[in-house]
Amino acid sequence: MKKAILPGFILFLTLTGLAFAQSQGQTNAELMTASYQQINALFTGDWQQYGQLFTDLQQTLLPRLFLLVITVVPVIFFLHYIAIGPMSFDHDGRQIYCYNTFVRIIHWCAALSFSLLVITGLMVIFASFIGKGSLGLFGRNIHLVSAVIFSVSAVFMFLVWVKDMLPAFYDLKWMIIMGGYLSKKVKPVPAGKFNAGQKMWFWLATLGGAVMAVTGYYLYCFPADINIARISILIHNFLGAAMVALFLVHLYMSTIAIKGSLRSMINGYKAEAELKILHSRFKI
Amino acid sequence: MGRMKFLCDVERCIDCSGCVVACKEGNHIPVGVNRRRVITIGSGQPGEKSISVSCMHCSDAPCIAVCPVDCIYQREDGIVLHNKDTCIGCGYCFMACPFGAPQFPTGQVFGARGAMDKCTFCAGGPAETFSAKEMKLYGQNRIAEGKVPLCAGMCATKSLLAGDSDEVADVYRERNFKRGSGANAWGWSKAYTKK
Repeated sequence: MKKAILPGFILFLTLTGLAFAQSQGQTNAELMTASYQQINALFTGDWQQYGQLFTDLQQTLLPRLFLLVITVVPVIFFLHYIAIGPMSFDHDGRQIYCYNTFVRIIHWCAALSFSLLVITGLMVIFASFIGKGSLGLFGRNIHLVSAVIFSVSAVFMFLVWVKDMLPAFYDLKWMIIMGGYLSKKVKPVPAGKFNAGQKMWFWLATLGGAVMAVTGYYLYCFPADINIARISILIHNFLGAAMVALFLVHLYMSTIAIKGSLRSMINGYKAEAELKILHSRFKI
Repeated sequence: MGRMKFLCDVERCIDCSGCVVACKEGNHIPVGVNRRRVITIGSGQPGEKSISVSCMHCSDAPCIAVCPVDCIYQREDGIVLHNKDTCIGCGYCFMACPFGAPQFPTGQVFGARGAMDKCTFCAGGPAETFSAKEMKLYGQNRIAEGKVPLCAGMCATKSLLAGDSDEVADVYRERNFKRGSGANAWGWSKAYTKK
């Protein structure tokens, strides 16, 4: 019996020692892994979530999207001009006062600053093709100045027009017939003081403009977490593409598609003949 | 031609921030910009680790992919450099970088960002080598002089290694072999094992 105690004791010590060493090793290894994971988390954060998304989109989709918008939209309008042609109304008849001086000044402040925003924004996106360096930097600075001017005038624009821009049921009908722009027939189109197209443009310019202003601030100052900047640039660019598209639509409609309609924003008068067709529900 | 790389040995880094100071002083970095910084985890606790971070000079770098003016480029030896004359300060590279390497000094107009500034591996920039312009815009060109970058050159514990990736890997492998790494390192159980 005594002979068995000593080897048994030694075996017991060895086993417990091994078990102890193994458990110590495990905790240390876990500690190491945990510390490297912690370093990684501090190092790169969750780059895969938004950083990679932004990198992929900026590399492929975004510049192409803008190129598509500024080429395809004008081509569509060119085809429309050839196939269907502009609308023309009698501008010698009775004139109706639609826009007062205040509204017109606000509109032109917004229009001028927005045009600059579109031009300088595209300058930044396609900076490798036009004016690298100082010219691109100049574009970025102009983008900021016009953003401030536009933000202020967009607030006034919102207050002045929001009542007339509320959606109405006949807007659906307008959208179904695409505002009558796809046919040569002159038929009264269902629209109030503003048609559904103008309403869409208004809401995109004001509410969308507010979103652009907020995301733009995050991009300009980098005040918060990097992921917020990454989300901001994606919102800013996708919404920007939509706004450029509708900006081009507005430009075409107001200057070319309806002859003489630009005059109403200069002197404030619209021809009654035009209102009866294009804004048939507008109570004069 | 080799492939230039940084490697920070977290077993050796003692968070002295000497690399940050050497880089900032030697390259005349503008105020508010750090090309290199030291991150510490578990400060004051057993198992504290520090690592020195700057531009990682990635292969397939995200900053090169997103730059709208294509001012960032990669040399044959893997060093990622940028041209401050064409940079418009849009910040895309900063948003694409996983390591926060691109930094922006405050510019002249309305606090707008100036041209991007980041670690050049002490290899200057696209300006003429050893010219005054290169020194002013990008800092020293120690690679052209045949020296390692300032940060790695001054590192007191030699935790920050810089140079050809094969050489760096050899140094690191030899070190790990001699001392053991992590939990197998000499003195680890004395220092960190809880009683």
